[in-house]
Amino acid sequence: MNDIETKLRETVKRLLADHTVRYVIGWEATRFEDKTRPAFISDSADTDRLVWNKYCVSSLAKYALDEQHSEGKIGICVRGCDSRAVCRLIEDKQLLRENLYLIGLPCDDKEMNICDTCTHRNPVIYDELVGEPVLERQADRFAMVGLMEAMSADERYSFWESNYSKCIRCYACRNICPACNCRACYADQERVGWQGKQMNTAQNQIYGLTRTYHVGDRCIECGECERVCPMMIPVMLQTRKMLKDINEMFGDYECGLPDGRAPVLGEYTLGDADDFM
Amino acid sequence: MSVNIKEGWEPKILAFCCNWCTYTGADLAGLNRMKYPENVRVARVPCSSRVNPQFVIRAFQKGCDGVLVCGCHPGDCHYVTGNYFTRRRFMLMKKLLEYNGIDPNRFQARWISGSEAAKFRDTVTRVSEQIKELGPNVKFREGRWS
Repeated sequence: MNDIETKLRETVKRLLADHTVRYVIGWEATRFEDKTRPAFISDSADTDRLVWNKYCVSSLAKYALDEQHSEGKIGICVRGCDSRAVCRLIEDKQLLRENLYLIGLPCDDKEMNICDTCTHRNPVIYDELVGEPVLERQADRFAMVGLMEAMSADERYSFWESNYSKCIRCYACRNICPACNCRACYADQERVGWQGKQMNTAQNQIYGLTRTYHVGDRCIECGECERVCPMMIPVMLQTRKMLKDINEMFGDYECGLPDGRAPVLGEYTLGDADDFM
Repeated sequence: MSVNIKEGWEPKILAFCCNWCTYTGADLAGLNRMKYPENVRVARVPCSSRVNPQFVIRAFQKGCDGVLVCGCHPGDCHYVTGNYFTRRRFMLMKKLLEYNGIDPNRFQARWISGSEAAKFRDTVTRVSEQIKELGPNVKFREGRWS
């Protein structure tokens, strides 16, 4: 057991004992050594279930949406990406900051590909930090997109076509995404012809592109969509393309930071370029 | 993506025209008996910002070879700010489509005002020529529409 884990358990125990929060969302061990799952701790006797290790990879912020209309606080363990997800949900008017107690956990030991390009290893908002802040690293978030762009149009099309032909439309990428917080998703609508229900590549491509576009300017780059995809579709490679364009056109841009900057597609300026027209 | 172009193939181009400017411009082109290619199908929308980027993908899927989105010049929008949003949306959408393998000429956006009948004619003619050169679109197409 590591130091931070001990401290985390103590913190949660204290928060539950003094009724600061109703329950805390964290991670717990499973029967697989290299997997953890989200844990919902409401009893201070249960705090020993909480773990903190390099396998704590699932995003927790979206579970808070279940408490949108409840009173009182809940606690969430937040890494850098979770805290940005919480920011996203607050900015999208889905959550109230005062209903959340954020337990910050600096995170530097995860072994996922997406974590190599992480630019916020420390939580951007928190009420209490467990452990010491870690060093932020510079990373080229768009290296892979650059490689894709170097390919010819037909190669790119084949790449995406073969990827989307695998898609089983489980919508896991949508369900996990903190930017996907519409009450009713267009993909679930039954009668309107936005999205066909049939399973074919063309429909999957429509879903993929639409999903990308819907979240593109609000993506916090946590990479959860890619992690949960059972068919290993490189979902972030699409979203990052949009983010790269936004960065090029509107200056350095990262979402889910408490800087009050509106998503680029939610505003405009009179001087926007129209050289594409 | 090699396609056998059938003899006598003509492209299908969908033009979303804003009710207040471009549609009026197209109307004026008609009144002036201007000749423009029949390949273009005009869909009237209340404002160019009514055009959801999804319409564009949907059009390609359902059999269009090119899509054109036209609206009022910046500052002239009937709804004051609509076309500013259109501009941002399609700026990003165009790049995303290109990234996904669609030729940049297949999706175009233009500002055409109510008095610019000649610009409407020229745009449509040019787009039609470009698409004819590119041939039929097979990307994003649903099987039964090909």
